[in-house]
Amino acid sequence: MLAVRRAAVLFAVAVVSVGCSSSSTSTSSAAATTPLTVFAASSLTKAFTQIGQDFHTADPDVTVTFDFGSSTDLASQILSEGTADVFGSASGTAMDTLQSAPGVTDRTNFATNRLVIITPPDNPAGVTSVNDLARSGVKLVLAAEGVPVGDYARQALKSAGILAQATANVVSNEDDDASVVAKVTSGDADAAIVYTSDVASAGNTVRSVPIPSAVNVIATYPIAVVGGSAYPDQAKAFLDYVVGPTGQATLATFGFGPPSG
Amino acid sequence: MRARLPVAIVALACIGAAFVLLPVVALFVRAPWSRLGEALSGVGASTALRLSIEVSLAATAISVLVGVPLAWVLARGEFPGRNLLRAVVVLPILLPPVVGGVGLLVALGRSGLVGRWLHDVLGIQLTFTTAGAVLATTFVSMPLVVLATEAGLRGLDRRYERAAAAMGGSPWYVFRRVTLPMVAPQLAAGAVLTWARALGEFGATITFAGNLAGRTQTMPLAVYEARQVDPGGAIVLSLILVVISVAVLVTLGGRLTGLR
Repeated sequence: MLAVRRAAVLFAVAVVSVGCSSSSTSTSSAAATTPLTVFAASSLTKAFTQIGQDFHTADPDVTVTFDFGSSTDLASQILSEGTADVFGSASGTAMDTLQSAPGVTDRTNFATNRLVIITPPDNPAGVTSVNDLARSGVKLVLAAEGVPVGDYARQALKSAGILAQATANVVSNEDDDASVVAKVTSGDADAAIVYTSDVASAGNTVRSVPIPSAVNVIATYPIAVVGGSAYPDQAKAFLDYVVGPTGQATLATFGFGPPSG
Repeated sequence: MRARLPVAIVALACIGAAFVLLPVVALFVRAPWSRLGEALSGVGASTALRLSIEVSLAATAISVLVGVPLAWVLARGEFPGRNLLRAVVVLPILLPPVVGGVGLLVALGRSGLVGRWLHDVLGIQLTFTTAGAVLATTFVSMPLVVLATEAGLRGLDRRYERAAAAMGGSPWYVFRRVTLPMVAPQLAAGAVLTWARALGEFGATITFAGNLAGRTQTMPLAVYEARQVDPGGAIVLSLILVVISVAVLVTLGGRLTGLR
Protein backbone atom coordinates (compact mmCIF):
# COMPACT_ATOMS: atom_id res chain seq x y z
CA MET A 1 0.00 0.00 0.00
CA LEU A 2 2.24 2.70 -1.30
CA ALA A 3 -0.33 5.46 -0.92
CA VAL A 4 -0.91 4.68 2.72
CA ARG A 5 2.79 4.55 3.34
CA ARG A 6 3.24 7.85 1.60
CA ALA A 7 0.46 9.33 3.67
CA ALA A 8 2.14 8.04 6.81
CA VAL A 9 5.34 9.83 5.83
CA LEU A 10 3.39 13.03 5.29
CA PHE A 11 1.80 12.57 8.65
CA ALA A 12 5.21 12.26 10.22
CA VAL A 13 6.20 15.53 8.58
CA ALA A 14 3.03 17.14 9.84
CA VAL A 15 3.61 15.92 13.36
CA VAL A 16 7.15 17.23 13.39
CA SER A 17 5.98 20.65 12.30
CA VAL A 18 3.47 20.92 15.12
CA GLY A 19 5.71 23.02 17.26
CA CYS A 20 4.83 25.99 19.31
CA SER A 21 7.44 28.61 19.80
CA SER A 22 8.08 30.49 22.97
CA SER A 23 8.77 34.15 22.72
CA SER A 24 12.45 34.56 23.30
CA THR A 25 14.42 37.44 22.05
CA SER A 26 18.13 37.94 22.15
CA THR A 27 19.77 41.32 22.18
CA SER A 28 22.85 40.10 20.35
CA SER A 29 24.67 36.85 19.85
CA ALA A 30 28.30 37.83 20.01
CA ALA A 31 30.57 34.99 21.08
CA ALA A 32 32.62 34.88 24.28
CA THR A 33 30.18 37.03 26.21
CA THR A 34 28.33 35.92 29.32
CA PRO A 35 24.91 34.66 28.29
CA LEU A 36 22.46 35.85 30.92
CA THR A 37 18.98 34.31 30.85
CA VAL A 38 16.16 36.47 32.18
CA PHE A 39 12.63 35.12 32.62
CA ALA A 40 10.08 37.91 32.77
CA ALA A 41 6.35 38.55 32.77
CA SER A 42 4.97 39.05 29.26
CA SER A 43 3.81 42.54 30.26
CA LEU A 44 7.51 43.45 30.55
CA THR A 45 8.32 42.39 26.97
CA LYS A 46 8.98 45.83 25.49
CA ALA A 47 10.46 47.49 28.57
CA PHE A 48 12.87 44.63 29.37
CA THR A 49 13.92 44.19 25.75
CA GLN A 50 14.95 47.87 25.79
CA ILE A 51 16.66 47.52 29.18
CA GLY A 52 18.48 44.41 27.92
CA GLN A 53 19.85 46.35 24.95
CA ASP A 54 20.91 49.27 27.15
CA PHE A 55 22.53 46.91 29.63
CA HIS A 56 24.46 45.18 26.85
CA THR A 57 25.60 48.57 25.55
CA ALA A 58 26.78 49.50 29.04
CA ASP A 59 28.47 46.13 29.55
CA PRO A 60 29.25 44.46 26.20
CA ASP A 61 30.59 41.38 28.01
CA VAL A 62 27.06 40.33 28.97
CA THR A 63 24.38 39.35 26.49
CA VAL A 64 20.89 39.13 27.90
CA THR A 65 18.39 36.64 26.50
CA PHE A 66 14.76 36.86 27.55
CA ASP A 67 11.96 34.38 27.90
CA PHE A 68 8.66 36.21 28.27
CA GLY A 69 5.45 34.53 29.36
CA SER A 70 2.95 34.16 32.15
CA SER A 71 4.77 34.65 35.47
CA THR A 72 3.04 31.59 36.92
CA ASP A 73 4.17 29.50 33.97
CA LEU A 74 7.73 30.84 34.10
CA ALA A 75 7.95 30.17 37.84
CA SER A 76 6.95 26.53 37.34
CA GLN A 77 9.54 26.24 34.57
CA ILE A 78 12.23 27.64 36.86
CA LEU A 79 11.08 25.25 39.58
CA SER A 80 11.40 22.20 37.36
CA GLU A 81 14.27 23.22 35.08
CA GLY A 82 16.10 26.00 36.93
CA THR A 83 17.41 27.55 33.74
CA ALA A 84 16.95 31.23 34.57
CA ASP A 85 19.49 33.63 36.10
CA VAL A 86 17.02 36.42 36.86
CA PHE A 87 13.24 36.33 37.27
CA GLY A 88 11.08 39.44 36.87
CA SER A 89 7.57 38.53 37.99
CA ALA A 90 4.21 40.28 37.68
CA SER A 91 3.13 38.86 41.01
CA GLY A 92 4.64 38.22 44.40
CA THR A 93 2.81 34.88 44.53
CA ALA A 94 4.67 33.53 41.51
CA MET A 95 7.97 34.63 43.06
CA ASP A 96 6.98 33.06 46.40
CA THR A 97 6.81 29.61 44.81
CA LEU A 98 10.58 29.80 44.22
CA GLN A 99 11.43 30.93 47.74
CA SER A 100 12.29 27.49 49.15
CA ALA A 101 13.62 25.86 45.98
CA PRO A 102 15.68 26.76 44.01
CA GLY A 103 15.71 29.85 46.27
CA VAL A 104 16.01 33.49 45.28
CA THR A 105 18.37 36.22 46.46
CA ASP A 106 18.31 40.01 46.32
CA ARG A 107 14.52 39.96 45.91
CA THR A 108 13.17 43.47 45.57
CA ASN A 109 10.12 45.17 44.10
CA PHE A 110 11.02 47.17 41.01
CA ALA A 111 7.77 48.33 39.44
CA THR A 112 4.03 48.62 39.85
CA ASN A 113 1.23 48.38 37.39
CA ARG A 114 -2.50 48.99 37.40
CA LEU A 115 -5.39 47.54 35.49
CA VAL A 116 -7.18 49.22 32.61
CA ILE A 117 -9.87 48.24 30.14
CA ILE A 118 -8.84 48.28 26.50
CA THR A 119 -11.09 48.18 23.44
CA PRO A 120 -10.41 48.36 19.71
CA PRO A 121 -10.04 52.00 18.53
CA ASP A 122 -13.64 52.09 17.20
CA ASN A 123 -14.96 50.61 20.48
CA PRO A 124 -17.59 48.40 18.77
CA ALA A 125 -19.42 47.48 21.98
CA GLY A 126 -19.45 51.06 23.31
CA VAL A 127 -17.61 50.24 26.54
CA THR A 128 -17.11 53.43 28.55
CA SER A 129 -16.94 52.16 32.13
CA VAL A 130 -16.12 49.03 34.07
CA ASN A 131 -19.85 48.39 34.59
CA ASP A 132 -20.30 48.08 30.81
CA LEU A 133 -18.36 44.81 31.02
CA ALA A 134 -21.41 43.30 32.72
CA ARG A 135 -23.65 44.17 29.78
CA SER A 136 -24.77 41.04 27.95
CA GLY A 137 -23.12 40.49 24.56
CA VAL A 138 -19.84 42.28 25.23
CA LYS A 139 -17.07 40.02 23.95
CA LEU A 140 -14.63 40.17 26.86
CA VAL A 141 -11.16 38.59 26.88
CA LEU A 142 -9.24 37.96 30.09
CA ALA A 143 -6.07 36.11 30.94
CA ALA A 144 -6.75 32.64 32.34
CA GLU A 145 -7.04 32.07 36.06
CA GLY A 146 -3.59 31.49 37.50
CA VAL A 147 -2.04 34.05 35.15
CA PRO A 148 -1.34 37.13 37.33
CA VAL A 149 -3.21 39.67 35.18
CA GLY A 150 -6.13 37.23 34.93
CA ASP A 151 -6.34 36.88 38.70
CA TYR A 152 -5.98 40.66 39.23
CA ALA A 153 -8.74 41.30 36.66
CA ARG A 154 -11.15 38.91 38.40
CA GLN A 155 -10.29 40.56 41.71
CA ALA A 156 -11.20 43.98 40.25
CA LEU A 157 -14.43 42.67 38.70
CA LYS A 158 -15.34 41.19 42.07
CA SER A 159 -14.71 44.53 43.80
CA ALA A 160 -16.94 46.17 41.19
CA GLY A 161 -19.63 43.61 42.02
CA ILE A 162 -19.94 42.32 38.46
CA LEU A 163 -17.74 39.21 38.52
CA ALA A 164 -20.50 36.75 37.56
CA GLN A 165 -21.95 38.86 34.73
CA ALA A 166 -18.53 39.79 33.34
CA THR A 167 -17.14 36.24 33.39
CA ALA A 168 -20.27 35.11 31.55
CA ASN A 169 -19.17 37.53 28.79
CA VAL A 170 -15.68 36.06 28.54
CA VAL A 171 -15.03 34.63 25.08
CA SER A 172 -11.43 33.59 25.67
CA ASN A 173 -9.06 32.91 28.57
CA GLU A 174 -5.61 33.72 27.23
CA ASP A 175 -2.31 32.27 28.39
CA ASP A 176 -0.54 35.51 29.16
CA ASP A 177 -1.00 39.27 29.20
CA ALA A 178 0.49 39.83 25.74
CA SER A 179 -1.96 37.34 24.17
CA VAL A 180 -4.87 39.21 25.77
CA VAL A 181 -3.72 42.49 24.21
CA ALA A 182 -3.34 40.77 20.81
CA LYS A 183 -7.00 39.69 20.82
CA VAL A 184 -8.02 43.35 21.09
CA THR A 185 -5.48 44.81 18.63
CA SER A 186 -6.69 42.28 16.03
CA GLY A 187 -10.14 43.80 16.51
CA ASP A 188 -11.83 40.52 17.46
CA ALA A 189 -12.55 41.17 21.13
CA ASP A 190 -14.79 44.05 22.28
CA ALA A 191 -12.86 44.60 25.50
CA ALA A 192 -10.13 43.19 27.71
CA ILE A 193 -8.60 43.93 31.10
CA VAL A 194 -4.84 44.38 30.96
CA TYR A 195 -2.14 46.54 32.55
CA THR A 196 -1.87 50.30 32.05
CA SER A 197 1.67 49.67 30.76
CA ASP A 198 0.16 47.72 27.85
CA VAL A 199 -1.64 50.88 26.71
CA ALA A 200 1.65 52.79 26.71
CA SER A 201 3.13 50.04 24.49
CA ALA A 202 0.13 49.47 22.23
CA GLY A 203 -0.25 53.16 21.39
CA ASN A 204 -3.22 54.01 19.18
CA THR A 205 -3.99 50.40 18.26
CA VAL A 206 -6.21 50.30 21.35
CA ARG A 207 -8.50 52.69 23.19
CA SER A 208 -8.36 52.69 26.97
CA VAL A 209 -11.13 52.99 29.51
CA PRO A 210 -9.96 53.67 33.08
CA ILE A 211 -10.91 51.47 36.02
CA PRO A 212 -11.65 53.58 39.15
CA SER A 213 -9.08 53.40 41.96
CA ALA A 214 -11.69 52.07 44.36
CA VAL A 215 -11.88 48.76 42.47
CA ASN A 216 -8.50 48.81 40.73
CA VAL A 217 -5.67 46.49 41.72
CA ILE A 218 -2.06 47.51 42.09
CA ALA A 219 0.25 44.80 40.77
CA THR A 220 3.66 44.88 42.40
CA TYR A 221 6.51 43.39 40.36
CA PRO A 222 9.34 41.65 42.23
CA ILE A 223 12.69 40.77 40.67
CA ALA A 224 15.33 38.40 42.08
CA VAL A 225 18.43 36.43 41.23
CA VAL A 226 17.49 32.78 40.88
CA GLY A 227 19.33 30.33 43.12
CA GLY A 228 21.80 28.14 41.25
CA SER A 229 22.49 30.78 38.60
CA ALA A 230 25.77 30.12 36.83
CA TYR A 231 26.42 33.87 36.65
CA PRO A 232 25.27 35.29 40.00
CA ASP A 233 27.45 38.43 39.72
CA GLN A 234 26.20 39.39 36.27
CA ALA A 235 22.65 38.49 37.35
CA LYS A 236 22.96 40.84 40.32
CA ALA A 237 24.38 43.54 38.01
CA PHE A 238 21.35 43.24 35.72
CA LEU A 239 19.01 43.38 38.71
CA ASP A 240 20.77 46.51 39.97
CA TYR A 241 20.48 48.02 36.51
CA VAL A 242 16.70 47.43 36.47
CA VAL A 243 16.31 48.92 39.95
CA GLY A 244 18.76 51.76 39.20
CA PRO A 245 17.94 55.13 37.59
CA THR A 246 18.34 54.04 33.92
CA GLY A 247 16.17 50.97 34.31
CA GLN A 248 13.56 52.87 36.28
CA ALA A 249 13.45 55.64 33.67
CA THR A 250 12.90 53.05 30.90
CA LEU A 251 10.15 51.33 32.90
CA ALA A 252 8.46 54.70 33.43
CA THR A 253 8.62 55.35 29.67
CA PHE A 254 6.79 52.08 29.11
CA GLY A 255 4.04 53.03 31.56
CA PHE A 256 5.14 51.29 34.75
CA GLY A 257 4.84 52.98 38.12
CA PRO A 258 7.65 53.19 40.69
CA PRO A 259 7.86 50.39 43.27
CA SER A 260 5.89 51.19 46.39
CA GLY A 261 7.74 50.59 49.62
CA MET B 1 19.62 -18.50 9.38
CA ARG B 2 18.96 -14.83 10.01
CA ALA B 3 21.74 -12.40 9.33
CA ARG B 4 22.88 -10.64 12.50
CA LEU B 5 22.09 -6.93 12.64
CA PRO B 6 25.11 -4.68 13.17
CA VAL B 7 25.38 -3.71 16.83
CA ALA B 8 25.77 0.01 16.09
CA ILE B 9 22.51 0.10 14.16
CA VAL B 10 20.68 -1.76 16.88
CA ALA B 11 22.07 0.56 19.55
CA LEU B 12 21.00 3.69 17.66
CA ALA B 13 17.60 2.14 17.01
CA CYS B 14 17.20 1.54 20.75
CA ILE B 15 18.01 5.18 21.48
CA GLY B 16 15.46 6.24 18.89
CA ALA B 17 12.76 3.99 20.32
CA ALA B 18 13.51 5.00 23.92
CA PHE B 19 13.37 8.68 22.94
CA VAL B 20 9.83 8.29 21.65
CA LEU B 21 8.70 6.01 24.44
CA LEU B 22 10.16 7.85 27.44
CA PRO B 23 7.77 10.84 27.55
CA VAL B 24 4.80 8.50 27.24
CA VAL B 25 6.10 6.32 30.06
CA ALA B 26 6.81 9.41 32.16
CA LEU B 27 3.22 10.58 31.72
CA PHE B 28 1.98 7.26 33.09
CA VAL B 29 4.47 7.28 35.98
CA ARG B 30 3.79 10.86 37.03
CA ALA B 31 0.00 10.76 36.62
CA PRO B 32 -1.83 11.55 39.87
CA TRP B 33 -3.44 8.09 39.98
CA SER B 34 -4.61 8.47 43.59
CA ARG B 35 -6.77 11.48 42.74
CA LEU B 36 -7.62 10.62 39.15
CA GLY B 37 -11.35 11.34 39.34
CA GLU B 38 -10.79 14.64 41.10
CA ALA B 39 -8.13 15.67 38.59
CA LEU B 40 -10.42 14.74 35.69
CA SER B 41 -13.32 16.83 36.90
CA GLY B 42 -11.02 19.67 38.05
CA VAL B 43 -9.72 20.35 34.56
CA GLY B 44 -13.07 19.84 32.84
CA ALA B 45 -11.84 16.81 30.91
CA SER B 46 -15.24 15.63 29.70
CA THR B 47 -16.17 19.06 28.30
CA ALA B 48 -12.86 19.39 26.50
CA LEU B 49 -12.99 15.82 25.22
CA ARG B 50 -16.53 16.18 23.86
CA LEU B 51 -15.60 19.44 22.13
CA SER B 52 -12.41 17.91 20.75
CA ILE B 53 -14.33 15.02 19.21
CA GLU B 54 -16.96 17.33 17.73
CA VAL B 55 -14.42 19.76 16.31
CA SER B 56 -12.12 17.07 14.89
CA LEU B 57 -15.00 15.14 13.27
CA ALA B 58 -16.46 18.32 11.76
CA ALA B 59 -13.03 19.31 10.44
CA THR B 60 -12.58 15.83 8.95
CA ALA B 61 -15.99 15.95 7.28
CA ILE B 62 -15.26 19.35 5.69
CA SER B 63 -11.79 18.16 4.69
CA VAL B 64 -13.24 15.14 2.89
CA LEU B 65 -16.06 17.12 1.32
CA VAL B 66 -13.81 19.70 -0.34
CA GLY B 67 -10.47 17.87 -0.12
CA VAL B 68 -11.44 14.85 -2.25
CA PRO B 69 -12.65 17.01 -5.16
CA LEU B 70 -9.47 19.03 -4.75
CA ALA B 71 -7.41 15.83 -4.99
CA TRP B 72 -9.36 14.86 -8.11
CA VAL B 73 -8.64 18.22 -9.75
CA LEU B 74 -4.95 17.93 -8.84
CA ALA B 75 -4.71 14.36 -10.16
CA ARG B 76 -6.80 14.72 -13.31
CA GLY B 77 -6.87 18.38 -14.20
CA GLU B 78 -4.61 19.65 -16.97
CA PHE B 79 -4.18 23.34 -16.37
CA PRO B 80 -1.36 25.83 -15.91
CA GLY B 81 -0.38 26.37 -12.29
CA ARG B 82 -1.45 22.92 -11.15
CA ASN B 83 1.84 22.29 -9.37
CA LEU B 84 1.60 25.71 -7.77
CA LEU B 85 -1.90 24.87 -6.58
CA ARG B 86 -0.64 21.63 -5.07
CA ALA B 87 2.14 23.49 -3.28
CA VAL B 88 -0.39 25.94 -1.85
CA VAL B 89 -2.64 23.11 -0.70
CA VAL B 90 0.25 21.35 1.04
CA LEU B 91 1.52 24.55 2.67
CA PRO B 92 -0.39 24.13 5.98
CA ILE B 93 1.53 20.87 6.63
CA LEU B 94 4.81 22.75 6.63
CA LEU B 95 3.67 26.01 8.22
CA PRO B 96 3.79 26.36 11.99
CA PRO B 97 0.08 26.17 12.97
CA VAL B 98 0.34 29.51 14.78
CA VAL B 99 1.16 31.10 11.42
CA GLY B 100 -2.01 29.55 10.04
CA GLY B 101 -3.86 31.08 12.97
CA VAL B 102 -2.46 34.54 12.31
CA GLY B 103 -3.32 34.16 8.62
CA LEU B 104 -6.88 33.14 9.44
CA LEU B 105 -7.12 36.09 11.84
CA VAL B 106 -6.22 38.67 9.19
CA ALA B 107 -8.42 36.87 6.66
CA LEU B 108 -11.51 35.87 8.61
CA GLY B 109 -11.19 37.76 11.91
CA ARG B 110 -13.68 40.53 12.66
CA SER B 111 -11.38 43.12 11.08
CA GLY B 112 -9.97 40.70 8.51
CA LEU B 113 -9.97 40.92 4.73
CA VAL B 114 -13.11 38.81 4.33
CA GLY B 115 -14.12 38.66 7.98
CA ARG B 116 -14.90 42.39 8.05
CA TRP B 117 -17.45 41.83 5.31
CA LEU B 118 -18.84 38.71 7.01
CA HIS B 119 -19.34 40.71 10.18
CA ASP B 120 -20.68 43.96 8.73
CA VAL B 121 -22.98 42.47 6.10
CA LEU B 122 -24.00 39.09 7.48
CA GLY B 123 -23.42 39.69 11.18
CA ILE B 124 -21.16 36.64 11.45
CA GLN B 125 -18.09 36.60 13.70
CA LEU B 126 -16.02 33.41 13.49
CA THR B 127 -13.37 34.22 16.09
CA PHE B 128 -14.17 32.90 19.59
CA THR B 129 -16.72 30.40 18.19
CA THR B 130 -16.73 26.63 17.81
CA ALA B 131 -17.11 27.18 14.06
CA GLY B 132 -13.88 29.18 14.20
CA ALA B 133 -12.13 26.30 15.97
CA VAL B 134 -13.40 23.93 13.25
CA LEU B 135 -12.08 26.24 10.52
CA ALA B 136 -8.66 26.56 12.14
CA THR B 137 -8.48 22.79 12.58
CA THR B 138 -9.59 22.15 9.00
CA PHE B 139 -6.94 24.53 7.67
CA VAL B 140 -4.20 22.55 9.37
CA SER B 141 -5.44 19.01 8.79
CA MET B 142 -7.08 18.99 5.34
CA PRO B 143 -3.87 18.58 3.28
CA LEU B 144 -3.41 15.04 4.60
CA VAL B 145 -6.60 13.69 3.00
CA VAL B 146 -5.93 15.65 -0.20
CA LEU B 147 -2.47 14.18 -0.62
CA ALA B 148 -3.47 10.62 0.27
CA THR B 149 -6.42 10.71 -2.12
CA GLU B 150 -4.42 12.28 -4.92
CA ALA B 151 -1.75 9.58 -4.57
CA GLY B 152 -4.52 6.97 -4.76
CA LEU B 153 -6.02 8.57 -7.87
CA ARG B 154 -2.65 8.66 -9.60
CA GLY B 155 -2.05 4.98 -8.89
CA LEU B 156 -5.42 4.01 -10.31
CA ASP B 157 -5.79 1.89 -13.44
CA ARG B 158 -7.67 4.30 -15.70
CA ARG B 159 -9.00 1.47 -17.92
CA TYR B 160 -11.91 0.82 -15.55
CA GLU B 161 -13.00 4.44 -15.75
CA ARG B 162 -12.65 4.46 -19.55
CA ALA B 163 -14.67 1.27 -19.82
CA ALA B 164 -17.44 2.72 -17.65
CA ALA B 165 -17.44 5.90 -19.72
CA ALA B 166 -17.48 3.94 -22.98
CA MET B 167 -20.57 2.08 -21.78
CA GLY B 168 -22.35 5.40 -21.46
CA GLY B 169 -21.68 6.38 -17.86
CA SER B 170 -21.75 10.12 -17.22
CA PRO B 171 -18.58 11.63 -15.71
CA TRP B 172 -20.36 12.11 -12.38
CA TYR B 173 -21.59 8.47 -12.48
CA VAL B 174 -18.09 7.19 -13.25
CA PHE B 175 -16.61 9.29 -10.44
CA ARG B 176 -19.19 8.05 -7.94
CA ARG B 177 -19.45 4.38 -8.92
CA VAL B 178 -15.98 3.58 -10.26
CA THR B 179 -13.35 6.10 -9.19
CA LEU B 180 -14.43 6.66 -5.58
CA PRO B 181 -14.78 2.96 -4.65
CA MET B 182 -11.37 2.19 -6.16
CA VAL B 183 -9.67 5.01 -4.26
CA ALA B 184 -11.60 4.33 -1.04
CA PRO B 185 -8.73 2.69 0.91
CA GLN B 186 -6.41 5.66 0.35
CA LEU B 187 -9.21 8.10 1.02
CA ALA B 188 -10.07 6.34 4.27
CA ALA B 189 -6.43 6.25 5.40
CA GLY B 190 -6.13 9.96 4.54
CA ALA B 191 -9.31 10.75 6.45
CA VAL B 192 -8.04 8.93 9.54
CA LEU B 193 -4.75 10.84 9.38
CA THR B 194 -6.67 14.09 8.97
CA TRP B 195 -8.82 13.24 11.97
CA ALA B 196 -5.80 12.32 14.10
CA ARG B 197 -4.08 15.56 13.14
CA ALA B 198 -7.29 17.49 13.84
CA LEU B 199 -7.54 15.98 17.31
CA GLY B 200 -4.06 17.28 18.15
CA GLU B 201 -4.48 20.76 16.66
CA PHE B 202 -3.37 23.54 18.98
CA GLY B 203 -1.61 26.58 17.52
CA ALA B 204 -4.05 27.71 14.85
CA THR B 205 -7.02 27.15 17.13
CA ILE B 206 -5.77 29.15 20.13
CA THR B 207 -4.56 31.95 17.86
CA PHE B 208 -7.73 32.25 15.78
CA ALA B 209 -10.54 30.95 17.97
CA GLY B 210 -9.23 31.68 21.47
CA ASN B 211 -9.58 29.50 24.54
CA LEU B 212 -12.94 29.06 26.27
CA ALA B 213 -14.11 25.87 27.96
CA GLY B 214 -17.03 24.27 26.13
CA ARG B 215 -16.72 26.53 23.10
CA THR B 216 -13.17 26.58 21.76
CA GLN B 217 -11.10 24.82 24.41
CA THR B 218 -10.24 21.47 22.81
CA MET B 219 -8.11 18.90 24.63
CA PRO B 220 -4.69 20.30 23.63
CA LEU B 221 -5.77 23.79 24.74
CA ALA B 222 -7.06 22.35 28.01
CA VAL B 223 -3.68 20.68 28.54
CA TYR B 224 -1.92 23.98 27.91
CA GLU B 225 -4.10 25.91 30.34
CA ALA B 226 -4.06 23.23 33.05
CA ARG B 227 -0.25 23.21 32.89
CA GLN B 228 -0.18 26.58 34.71
CA VAL B 229 -2.58 25.91 37.56
CA ASP B 230 -2.77 22.13 37.80
CA PRO B 231 0.22 20.23 36.34
CA GLY B 232 -1.25 16.91 37.53
CA GLY B 233 -4.46 17.66 35.65
CA ALA B 234 -2.43 18.46 32.54
CA ILE B 235 -0.85 15.00 32.76
CA VAL B 236 -4.25 13.33 33.09
CA LEU B 237 -5.55 15.19 30.03
CA SER B 238 -2.40 14.28 28.11
CA LEU B 239 -2.85 10.63 29.03
CA ILE B 240 -6.37 10.65 27.59
CA LEU B 241 -4.95 11.86 24.27
CA VAL B 242 -2.22 9.20 24.42
CA VAL B 243 -4.83 6.48 25.03
CA ILE B 244 -6.95 7.71 22.10
CA SER B 245 -3.94 7.76 19.80
CA VAL B 246 -2.94 4.23 20.83
CA ALA B 247 -6.53 3.08 20.30
CA VAL B 248 -6.44 4.52 16.76
CA LEU B 249 -3.18 2.70 16.06
CA VAL B 250 -4.53 -0.58 17.39
CA THR B 251 -7.82 -0.24 15.49
CA LEU B 252 -6.04 0.43 12.22
CA GLY B 253 -3.60 -2.41 12.81
CA GLY B 254 -0.63 -2.00 10.51
CA ARG B 255 -2.40 0.24 8.02
CA LEU B 256 -1.28 3.55 9.46
CA THR B 257 2.33 2.48 9.38
CA GLY B 258 2.01 0.97 5.91
CA LEU B 259 3.01 -2.52 7.00
CA ARG B 260 -0.04 -4.31 5.76
